[in-house]
This record gives sequence, C-alpha cells and structure tokens, in this order.
Amino acid sequence: MDALEIINFYLVPGIVIGSIYALGAVGITLVFAILRYAHLAHGDLATLGAFLALGAVTLGGVSPYVALPVAMVLTAAAAVMIDKAFYAYLRERPKIVTVMASLGVALMVRAVVQVVWGVDSETYTRGIVRPDVWFGIRIRDRELITILAMIGLVLALHVFLQQSKWGKAMRAMSDNPDLALLSGVDNKKVVMLTWIIVGGLCAAAGVFLGLNYELKAMMGWTMLLPMFAAAILGGVGRVEGAVLGGLIVGIAEEMSTLFLPTEYKAATAFAILLLMLLVRPTGLLKGKVL
Amino acid sequence: MEWIGLANYAVFMAIFICIYALLSLGLNIQWGFTGLFNAGIAGFFAVGAYTSAILTSPAVEGRLGGFDLPVPVGWIGAMLAAALIAWPIGKICLRFRSDYLAIATIGVAEIIRLVIKSEDWLTNSARGITDIPRPFGDLPYVYSQLAYLAIVAGVLLVAYLMVERQIAAPWGRMMRAIRDNEDAARAMGKDVPFRRLEAFIFGSALMGLGGALFAHFNRTITPEAIDPMIATFLVWIMLILGGSGNNRGAILGVAVVWIIWSMSEIVTDQLPHEYAVKAKYMRVFLIGLMLQLVLRFRPEGLLPEPQGTREEVSEKSK
Amino acid sequence: MSDILVMRDLVGGYGDANVLQGVSMTAAKAEIVVIVGPNGAGKSTAMKAIFGLLKVRGGSITVDGTDITGWEPNRIVEAGVCYVPQVSNVFREMTVHENLEMGAFLRSGDLSAAYDRVYTLFPDLKERRKALAGNLSGGQRQMVAMGRALMLEPKLLLLDEPTAGLSPRYMEQIFQICRDVRDTGVTIVLVEQHAKQALAFADRGYVLASGANRHEGTGADLLADRDVADMFLGG
Repeated sequence: MDALEIINFYLVPGIVIGSIYALGAVGITLVFAILRYAHLAHGDLATLGAFLALGAVTLGGVSPYVALPVAMVLTAAAAVMIDKAFYAYLRERPKIVTVMASLGVALMVRAVVQVVWGVDSETYTRGIVRPDVWFGIRIRDRELITILAMIGLVLALHVFLQQSKWGKAMRAMSDNPDLALLSGVDNKKVVMLTWIIVGGLCAAAGVFLGLNYELKAMMGWTMLLPMFAAAILGGVGRVEGAVLGGLIVGIAEEMSTLFLPTEYKAATAFAILLLMLLVRPTGLLKGKVL
Repeated sequence: MEWIGLANYAVFMAIFICIYALLSLGLNIQWGFTGLFNAGIAGFFAVGAYTSAILTSPAVEGRLGGFDLPVPVGWIGAMLAAALIAWPIGKICLRFRSDYLAIATIGVAEIIRLVIKSEDWLTNSARGITDIPRPFGDLPYVYSQLAYLAIVAGVLLVAYLMVERQIAAPWGRMMRAIRDNEDAARAMGKDVPFRRLEAFIFGSALMGLGGALFAHFNRTITPEAIDPMIATFLVWIMLILGGSGNNRGAILGVAVVWIIWSMSEIVTDQLPHEYAVKAKYMRVFLIGLMLQLVLRFRPEGLLPEPQGTREEVSEKSK
Repeated sequence: MSDILVMRDLVGGYGDANVLQGVSMTAAKAEIVVIVGPNGAGKSTAMKAIFGLLKVRGGSITVDGTDITGWEPNRIVEAGVCYVPQVSNVFREMTVHENLEMGAFLRSGDLSAAYDRVYTLFPDLKERRKALAGNLSGGQRQMVAMGRALMLEPKLLLLDEPTAGLSPRYMEQIFQICRDVRDTGVTIVLVEQHAKQALAFADRGYVLASGANRHEGTGADLLADRDVADMFLGG
C-alpha cells in the first residue's frame, strides 16, 4: 500500500473524525477543569445539536452550514437550562453526584431526540458527494470545512480565553477556584459562560458528525468515549491539548482498522484512555488530574 | 383464570426483582459503601451471563464452549469472569477520582458489547447462546417458575447476609471511613486504592452472578437481551431511590422501580403502535427525571443509611 | 474612631466545633497589627472569619463602620477587604501581570495607576511580568499574591503567614513592603509564626491562645512581657 492510499483512506478520515472529537473534547476539558466533574451527557448534547440543525434544515430549507450557528445557539441555551435545572443545586454536594445527574441527563436528552425525531438514521443532504482531488489527495468539501471550522472555533475560543476579562476569569476559576472567588469573580457567571461555550461546541461536533456520517440517536453517546480519551490524552484543562488529543484519537481509530476488525475502532479510544491513565495521567500537555 | 395469570406474572416479576437486587447490592458495595461510580453495570452483567452460558450449555459446532458443566460451576465462573474484568480497570482507575472510573466503565461496557456482537466463535454473535440449562426447568411451568424463584431468592438472601456481615465487620467501617474522609483514612495508613479495588471487584462479581441468573432463567442469551444504557441506569435509580449505603434500601428500591417500570410498560403497550414506540422513550425520559428528583429532594433515599455510619457528606470528595 | 477593623467577641469554627471562643481585636487606619500564638490558637481561623470563610456563631465584625458579619466573600472584597491565603495564593498558570489583572477584577476604568503602584512596590515583579506565576520562587510568588490583593486598593489587607517558608532575606523584604503599604494608608492584619520578628516590626500585636485573646499591646510591650516570652517566644 503506498503513502497516498494511507493518506486517502486513513489519514484524511482520521483528521476529519479527529476534528469532530476535538470540538467535543475541548468542551469536556473545559467542564472538567472549571466545573470539576466528568460530564457524561456531553455526547447526547452533541446529538441534540445535530438534530436541532436537522430541524432548521428541514423546516427552514437552509443548508446545514447555515443551520450550524442556529444549532449552536439553541444547544448553548439548552446546556444553560440543563445546568440550571439539574446541576446547579448539586454544587454543594460531592462532584460525583453531578456526574450521576449527568448520566441521567444523557438518557433524558436522548429520549427527547428519539421522541421528536424518531430512531431512524437521517442525513442533512441526499446524494453522493464526489471528493475533489488535490495532488492525489482526495478530500470532500464538507471534510475540508469540518477541519477549517474546528480550527476557526478553537482559535476564537483561544483568543477569548487569553484576551477577554471573562475568558481570564474562566482560566482563573480552572487554575485556583478559591482564589478566583477571593478576587471577586462571580462563580455563577463563569458557570453560565462555560455552558454557553460548551453547548455551542457540542452542537458543532454533532452537526459535523452528522454532515460527514449520518444522524442517529446514539451518535453522540458512542462519541463520548473517544472525546474523553482525547481530553485526557491532551491533558485536562488544556484546550490545545484537547485538539491534539482529538486528532490523535481520530487518526489512531482509522489506523487501527489496518490491523483490527473495523468493529473494534471504539476499542482504540478505550486503549488510549487506559494507557494514559496508567503512564501519564496528566496527559501530553501536563493538565490536571482530578 | 385471571388471577392465575396474575399470580404467574407476580412470580415472574419477583424473579426479576431478585436478579436486579443482586445488581443493586453489587452497586451498593461499590457506590453506597465505597463511593465508586460504576457506569458499566450492564457490561459486568453480560459477562456473567455469557460466561455461565458458555460453561453450562451443551456443545455446539463452531463456537467455544458448550462444556455442559453443572450450573453452580457456571455461576462461580460468571463471578470470576466479572471480577477478572473489574480487576485491571479498577487497578488503573481507582487511584483517581471516581469520574475516571465512570468513563472507563462506560468504555468497558461498550467493548464487551462489541465483543458479544461480533465474536462468532465465542458468543455466536447475534444469534446468541441457546439451550442454557435451567435448574428444575423440566418441571411443569408454574412449579418450574416457583422453583427458580426459590433459587434466586436463596442466592439473594445469601448475598445479602454476606454483604451485611462484611459491612458490620471492621472491613465495612474502614470502607466508610475511606469514603467519608479519604485523607484521614490515608493518614491512618490505610491502603485506599487496594481497599477500593476489593470493593469494586466484589461488587462486579455480584453483578456477574446477576447476569448468570438472568441467562439461566431465560435459557438463552442474545446481544439484544439487555439495553446496556437502560439496564445500567435502572440499577442506579433503584439504588439511589432505595437508599444507597443501606442494603435493605437497595432491595426495596429494586422492587419499587421494577414495579413502576413494568407497569408503565403494560400501560404503554396498550397504545397504538406508532405511539407505543415513542412512549418507550417517554418512559426512559421519566426514569431519568426521577433520578434528578430523588437527587434533589430525597438524596438519602427511601431507607437512608443508618445514622452514625455516615459522617459529613460534604467531606466525601473534593 | 478611626478603627478600620473592629472584631467583637467572635465565636465560630468549621463544622460543629468552635475554634474561636470569643476573640476581639481592632486595627486602626494605617496600622500593622500582627496576630501571634501557638499552633491551634485560632490565628488563621480568626482571619478567615473576617473574610466570611467559616461559620460565625456569635460576635460581630465591622469594617470601616459597616457590619460585614456573615457576608459572602465577594461582597467583602467589594467592601474593601483583601485576603492573601497562606498557600495556593497565586494563579499558577497565569502570568504575573494576569494575576494582578485578576486582583483588579472588580474594578473598571483605567488601571495603569494601580499597576504602577504595585510594580513600584515590587520591582522584581515588573521584570517578570510575562512569567507564569507557578514558575516563580516562593518569595516572588508571595509578592505576586500581595500585589494581586493590592490591585483593588483595599482599606484592609489580611495576610496569612506571608513569610512562611521564606528565607530571612525575603522575610525582611516582605516586612519592609508591608511598612511601605501601610504608609500609603492601608491597614494590615497579619498572622505570623515568627512571633519575635513579627512583633518587632508590627505596630501592635495580639497573642491568642485556645481561640481566645491572651495578651495585647504594642509590639515592644509584648516582646518585653515575661509571660508572652515564656509561652511563645521560646525565651
């Protein structure tokens, strides 16, 4: 097998799915670092985002790229409401109770998707898209847009966290929550802001997954493990680490099919997760360990 | 005729309640007494079910097993297999906060599901394993059901007494000390990760046993027999509603939730088909909502953990 | 009455136990007050009580005439009180400058005067303003911590063992900075382990034991007191 084939059949799909994981993993790492719990409803929030975009596509007749920002806003709103309704009052309790609540929320969100949109697979657009060929590398428009959108969203987030007052407050809360409170940072606002960002990123992950593959009720849940593996691989709390982790997990999954049956793609993420916890729990970029 | 049907249904329900009670007891050891978050209950359940099925079913061409061993051997094998899977996961994850265990157990349950679905030689894939012997399965239907109920109830009773004894023993006090104030327990020289590992393995073995009892009751096991997410979640809501940290609460919760769950199924099955499918998901939604309500309004559950064994809850983990 | 801080008969603690069994103290404007005492005397607890970080069951705390007993920490910050904890008192993964920025989180408008003031007090920090706080030495970290607190231009600055673990050179430097800060009109209350040195440099001191007042007076008086010397100063 020559290099071009490896690139076309393994590397490109790996980077595409890796970009999608990266979008989710960035959200997971933010929740992990700022709110300090593993958010198990993350995948299903992405499912919700994907189906909200489908709603915009079918009702509004717009392209999925126009539906994307709509879905991001709606999912951000849903995330804020979920936090207010189910997580906010658990703040004084041990964090693991919120992990449990998020497992319940995962089930509830999925049930809503199943009731509203049914359980059949859906797509945003019909028909087969032929890939363009650039110097022998075959890539579809939607794949290119997925990668570019991921880079754009993460860069925007990076600038926000580094430059803006509230972005710094989020970093401060992740770094040293007690001191952030002593400095007068309003925890409630940071929590809300975190959910707005995380909800938006979730929706983007879901929409791009639906765009490149298909939409089903379980799509987000099956993405949960690779997203967590990516966040832990990159180092919890490290946005750039989550991107790196997402890409590595995505590429590793695709490459694994060279020597493992395709069914066991998901096992790759699991193996990466356990390996990192075993040898370097702080991740590649020295993140937190809870 | 009607009441015979009803009685039969009651026996059927009671068997399921006993099986779920084993899962709930196993989770109580992990969560209630030790504070470990296992989100892969269905995985350990499935491992137990398949292990016992492979050990005790008659030989079949083309797949491993069919060893035709006695049923108790299958059950012990089920517990061992579940424990064996729990061991490395616990070994790796229990050094960290339980969030990591939650993720890893979701992963392990997913891998187990994949193996069961795709490994023909081991699990016969989608067709599953059939002809699993059922103790007293040759008796007429009613007697056979009653006999199996007696067996599962007996197994449950033994498990319950063993767990109760263990919890009242110094071991149980130590586990609660670790759960309520890990730093203090560490300072007293307790090997916290090792103790947690014990609890995780022991609890998982009980879940494996639950799986075995389920497989022998149904006489067959297929990948579709259990919805992993719903099964795991049902056990969680059972334990939390019943009262984590209290074994009687754990069993009471099973009865309450299973009766609600089954009754709601009977109601929704009356609906026309297109609504019935949606209604199934509405039930899932409501069971998720129920967890949130219990967590919010009665976090100690119906039968709270006896006073004096629980210290400041807020100190449990930081 | 120019007392910035007035604490009266404070009773409170963590959980159900009362660590403080009736502590009273005052601090005037532009005064350095040091709290000393043996381990477990409730020194740090008294300081945390001012900042609303523990359950207060009796007594009262007023700052500049306003009763702040039972307030949330962020409101106390707004009332002009800043607190520097003993440990984890910087944002390790943020730069020195960002740490100062977080200190001024509640302020708006032009902050250049505030930065100038802090960088004048801590010239070392100006050089290392782009460095991550976590990469600084212990003494420099303590300066970042104090600088962060001073960005808000507080009336009252609370320091919990600011010299713990520092070399004598840094200790002297921190004390000198405290004097400079006081001379700008800020009241400083600090808890100290190094009782002898602290009493020598402070304007007034309180000696606590078992969660209650034992002695009080000027630093020089306390140093001269036989009982104080025997109890805490090791002769």
